[in-house]
Amino acid sequence: MIQGSPTAMQPQLDIELHSLAYKDRQLLKDLRQQVHPGEKILIVGATGSGKTSLLHTLNLTNPHFRGRILFQGKDLLDHKPEELRSRIMEVMQEPWLDDLSVESVLREPFSYAVHRRKFDQSGWRERVLRLLSSFALDGSYLQKRSSQLSGGEKQRIALIRAMQFEPEILLLDEISSALDQTTSRIISNCLFNNYRGTIIAISHDPLWQQSWQRIWSIEQGSLIEKGA
Amino acid sequence: MLALVLLLFPLLIFLQLKLPLIKNMLVSFGRMVAQLAVIGLVLQFIFRQLNLWLTLGWMLIMVVNAVWTVLSRLKLNRSLLLPILLIALGSTSLIVMPWIIILIIRPDPLYSPMYLIPIYGMVLGNSMNSCALALERFESGLADNWKAYYTRIILGASLWEATLPAFKKALQTSLLPQLLTIASIGVVSLPGMMTGQILGGASPLVAIKYQMMIMISIFTGVTLTDYIAIRLYLKSRFDRFLLPRQEI
Repeated sequence: MIQGSPTAMQPQLDIELHSLAYKDRQLLKDLRQQVHPGEKILIVGATGSGKTSLLHTLNLTNPHFRGRILFQGKDLLDHKPEELRSRIMEVMQEPWLDDLSVESVLREPFSYAVHRRKFDQSGWRERVLRLLSSFALDGSYLQKRSSQLSGGEKQRIALIRAMQFEPEILLLDEISSALDQTTSRIISNCLFNNYRGTIIAISHDPLWQQSWQRIWSIEQGSLIEKGA
Repeated sequence: MLALVLLLFPLLIFLQLKLPLIKNMLVSFGRMVAQLAVIGLVLQFIFRQLNLWLTLGWMLIMVVNAVWTVLSRLKLNRSLLLPILLIALGSTSLIVMPWIIILIIRPDPLYSPMYLIPIYGMVLGNSMNSCALALERFESGLADNWKAYYTRIILGASLWEATLPAFKKALQTSLLPQLLTIASIGVVSLPGMMTGQILGGASPLVAIKYQMMIMISIFTGVTLTDYIAIRLYLKSRFDRFLLPRQEI
């Protein structure tokens, strides 16, 4: 990349929040942060401190903030929500998978207009088999019903469902909280080795707190950047 | 009035079982007699006047009454529902009624209240019941599957794509009873209008032709009302971020 070009200078996310609330409750104030492509950021803080609300401002599932957030130089509020959420994807703590085969679960979002425009499904199987194997799952999982999967397997399928669209940013909300250590390690290794995009995650799992480049700690309504 | 004597049978059963329905029964039938007597007089007046504005005015009262009935039955936001129901129930009337009156029955004059009001009553009454059921099922479908809805929107679904499963289910639930009724007509039951015509001396063949037309009109009216009501409800239920305006 040419030094000094607008793309090189432009942060992926430029966050300048005066205040952030959830259901009329003031959570955070005066937050100024920039995020660059490929960064791995962990958000920590006490329960109820506003970690999830902050994460949810980035995909506009919590639009109750004052200030502005730029994504690739454009105000977040000027993005169409479906377009934005196809590029900044969230994976939930307890993911929901429809009670269908894993293949159908993974293919369902391809029917959304925002993905239909960008992706054709040729080569889908090879891509998904690669992702499955990097998450220590084999191709036979595609035929299994999602209701037969364990919690850890469901979580991995939910991650694959998001990663197959190669979003620019992954928002992970406590995804390892209900997992055993081995599964948690598999998931964190896979994410750090295979996903080149930005990750912004919330986790209380000590195993997860080692590999991050940046740590944002929310303390008494303020965000403090700590050394990783 | 001799028919009222038949009510002695349910009365005796309620007494024997000590069912607390006697008061309800007396109030319900009392209301029925009073309401029908008043409506009978009003309709007789309107039928004799044969006036366009009077007929349209009465039809407007019917729509407002239907909207009010749905509003009082649903535990949803009333200020949000009022315009939706007026449009859904009103626009159906504008599609189905002119079709039947102008193209099929062609009474003279076209606004003849003798035809317009009873047919409209049947279409509107069914649409009203079905619409209440459809909206209620749609809302409960969203509440029961909130996580599914949320998952779809965070994966990039539009409002339409994320609510489509709940929409389809609500429509299916509201339309299925209509289809079951249609399928059993003639074999299991003779509908009220047909029975009335036959009792009034019409040939069963003529009564059947009218009945078929009425059933088609009702089903079309019900489907259109349910569809329009849910689509409009969808728009006002969620904001531009695809989040519910009020908690689900």
